[in-house]
Amino acid sequence: MSLDIHAGELLAVVGENGAGKSSLMNVLYGLYHPDSGEVSVEGRPERFRSPRDAIDRGIGMVHQHFMLVPTLTVAENVVLGREPTRWGRLDMERAVREVADTCARFGFTLDPRARVDALTVGSQQKVEIVKALHRGARVLVLDEPTAVLTPQEADELARVMKDLVRAGRTVVLISHKLKEVLGVADRIAVMRRGRLVTEVRAADTTADQLAALMVGDAPRAATDEPAPVAQAPGEVLVEAKALHALGDNHCPALRGVDLTVRAGEVVGIAGVDGNGQRELAEVLTGLRRLTSGGGTLLGGPLARLTPAVARERGVGHVPEDRLRRAVVKALSVEENVALGRHTKPPFAKGPWIDFAGRRERTRELLAAYDVRPPEPTLVLQALSGGNQQKVVVARELDAKPRLLVVVQPTRGLDIGAVAQVHARLREARRQGTGVVLVSLDLEEVLALADRVYVLFEGRVTGEFTRPDYDERELGRRMLGAERAHG
Amino acid sequence: MGERARQALPSVLSVLLSLVVCWLLIALTRDADGFTTATAAYLQMLWGGIGDWPTFLGGSPVAVLTRPIGEAAMKAALLTLTGLSVAVAFKVGLFNIGAQGQMLLGALAAAVVGSHVELPALLHIPAALLGAALAGAAWAGIAAALRLYRGVHEVISTIMLNWVALRLVDNWLVVGPLRGVAQAGASITGTAEIHASAALPRLLGDVSRLNLGFPLAMLAAVAVWLWLERTRTGFETRAVGLGDEAARAAGIPVARRAGLAMALAGALAGSAGAVLVLGTEGRYPGTLGAPYGFDGIAISLIGNNHPLGVALAALFFGAIRAGGTRMQLLDVHKSFPELIQGLALLFVAGRLIWLSVLRRRRAPAPVLSAPTAPTPEAPHA
Repeated sequence: MSLDIHAGELLAVVGENGAGKSSLMNVLYGLYHPDSGEVSVEGRPERFRSPRDAIDRGIGMVHQHFMLVPTLTVAENVVLGREPTRWGRLDMERAVREVADTCARFGFTLDPRARVDALTVGSQQKVEIVKALHRGARVLVLDEPTAVLTPQEADELARVMKDLVRAGRTVVLISHKLKEVLGVADRIAVMRRGRLVTEVRAADTTADQLAALMVGDAPRAATDEPAPVAQAPGEVLVEAKALHALGDNHCPALRGVDLTVRAGEVVGIAGVDGNGQRELAEVLTGLRRLTSGGGTLLGGPLARLTPAVARERGVGHVPEDRLRRAVVKALSVEENVALGRHTKPPFAKGPWIDFAGRRERTRELLAAYDVRPPEPTLVLQALSGGNQQKVVVARELDAKPRLLVVVQPTRGLDIGAVAQVHARLREARRQGTGVVLVSLDLEEVLALADRVYVLFEGRVTGEFTRPDYDERELGRRMLGAERAHG
Repeated sequence: MGERARQALPSVLSVLLSLVVCWLLIALTRDADGFTTATAAYLQMLWGGIGDWPTFLGGSPVAVLTRPIGEAAMKAALLTLTGLSVAVAFKVGLFNIGAQGQMLLGALAAAVVGSHVELPALLHIPAALLGAALAGAAWAGIAAALRLYRGVHEVISTIMLNWVALRLVDNWLVVGPLRGVAQAGASITGTAEIHASAALPRLLGDVSRLNLGFPLAMLAAVAVWLWLERTRTGFETRAVGLGDEAARAAGIPVARRAGLAMALAGALAGSAGAVLVLGTEGRYPGTLGAPYGFDGIAISLIGNNHPLGVALAALFFGAIRAGGTRMQLLDVHKSFPELIQGLALLFVAGRLIWLSVLRRRRAPAPVLSAPTAPTPEAPHA
């Protein structure tokens, strides 16, 4: 494939998971080496042996997962690897001065002396951008930059990107969020299955056209999915009363949550990030201890639930932090498919691992969920993020859970994968699974849920039942407006 | 090249490189005939490790083979057991620096059971081995408990427990309460002689010290490998080592797996002590100087923390260390094999450098290249 990047433009590269966006950019950044073909910068063919070569030629990259040392300050992180020295000793005063200069030149408000782990995610991303600029980057590549940001931070980032282009820098934005791409990009390159499909001017296209180009001839509706078919809710699976729990920071995160989940319904948990949604999901899956309150979950007490007991009772879990909680990235795909069910057939025969059974079931699941490449022995971290998530969803649904707790199941996924995950969740609901869906994406919650609880500061501030979804009222509740509500 | 070979290659190359470096060191520190001497010294080391075949084929008795082989095998057995100890702890994500202390406790337990208990041989040997394994496991268990319940890092606690074990055993128990009773006026150091029923039987006659401990150590390597790779609990142990949060979320009892793996590590190191006492020493001597527990760290790393890799590394270094004494015939210091081992460890530590060098020489590494499109010839091991 060929792609030209013009100076001073904001180019967006869009495509589904595994379309090759990240691979392309890693070639550009010197992390991967092309089997054939070449990269030219300002007309001169280059052979980047490492990111250092790319940096020297003015290419900077901001990865989806930040490459920062959390315990160092902003200035220390920015100069890391090329620290200014005086008489062979680190000259921190000069580093701070230089970093402050760079920030001022591009209009960033960052304190060079602040420790990185004290910054918000949005600010950490700015540190990454400043780092690249400080090293003289004229072309800045941003890989899925908004995946980790709140909507406000994403707006802020869009402004930063436009400012950079105005200052004469070139920005390459890798994304699959079409709306956001249309809002900021000058030109959009669409990739599919390792090929450049087309390049369009942002002004001349629409989200629908782009979506069609990305997925190819098989149009998959992702944005306007049909509302779930009404079905009578079944038995009560979870009856939780006055749940209290502490967060990771040892402050109360849940402060009296009541919750009911029935078989065959999707219960959405809506709210602004950090209002107890994550902790609620952890309580329901046995990962977090209650400080008080309780109730029943799948026929047993909710208090003192452990992950093993939860799984035994039939709880499935698609956690938010995939690499930390859901998979062991250094194990193979098939070992990850077995994880959590490795003591049961077809994954085990008595105390032994059933290699043949595990291989066969893994192959079936990889095919059914369209995981690419469908290779059971591949180490999991060789899969792209979207394909990893498919593996997790496949594993959890294959266990036929009675209760499925999913947190941010489609974050960072492309349109096709989102549609697939949503379809699988609907299918689970239809078959009588109770689904608890925690998502920061209100559209996703409203599209799937039969009932929505709104959480604010660890309390339920509203409960809405389909079809009485009043988005403005929901938004008010998410910001803490409380009113007696049935 | 298969994935397994690719994993083993850095270790093999590191060992070869350290052999070359040491050969140069010997050659360049001689006044004259350096290269001839170095080569001759290496040959002596070889015959000292695998048996003196030239002399044997020249008509000497078979002892010129069995004696060196016995020395090499017993060193290999001890290195295998302590290497496995470190490797098992590694698999669950813990760094066991305490194999030395666990080995001392195991040696003492074997000496006590061997001398203070009277049983038929069929039961006495297993009892003494079991006692040693339990003592080693208990000693490692202290570090595991401190880690799991109090958050004390196991590197710190196992290092400190090594010293506690040394003082406790060598400086008090062995010279105090457990000191052997002198017979016929002759004063002895260390604990009482073990009963003949507890001694590990020799397998190649009396002239060779090769005993049951060697096959047991090899068996242990295979058993540990089978356990880690083929069983549910072994899988759980590896999963905990590679991602404890994900293992916890999957319902795996993380603390129990870590605790049991650490106890097994201690049991293996303790068994090394038993092989030393029941196989070659016959009692706990005045001081058990041999630092096989620390060698275990090097063996484990050179063996890539793989049980069979550990056994292979132990066989190799057991052989050259047994052969090292014969280097003295050429005025080369016998500690050169230890230098070779140390250098190999140093080179193995640069494992990532090896891998990147090897990757550059061949096509892009299959496992790490990002899957872009559906590749029909999907790469795998």
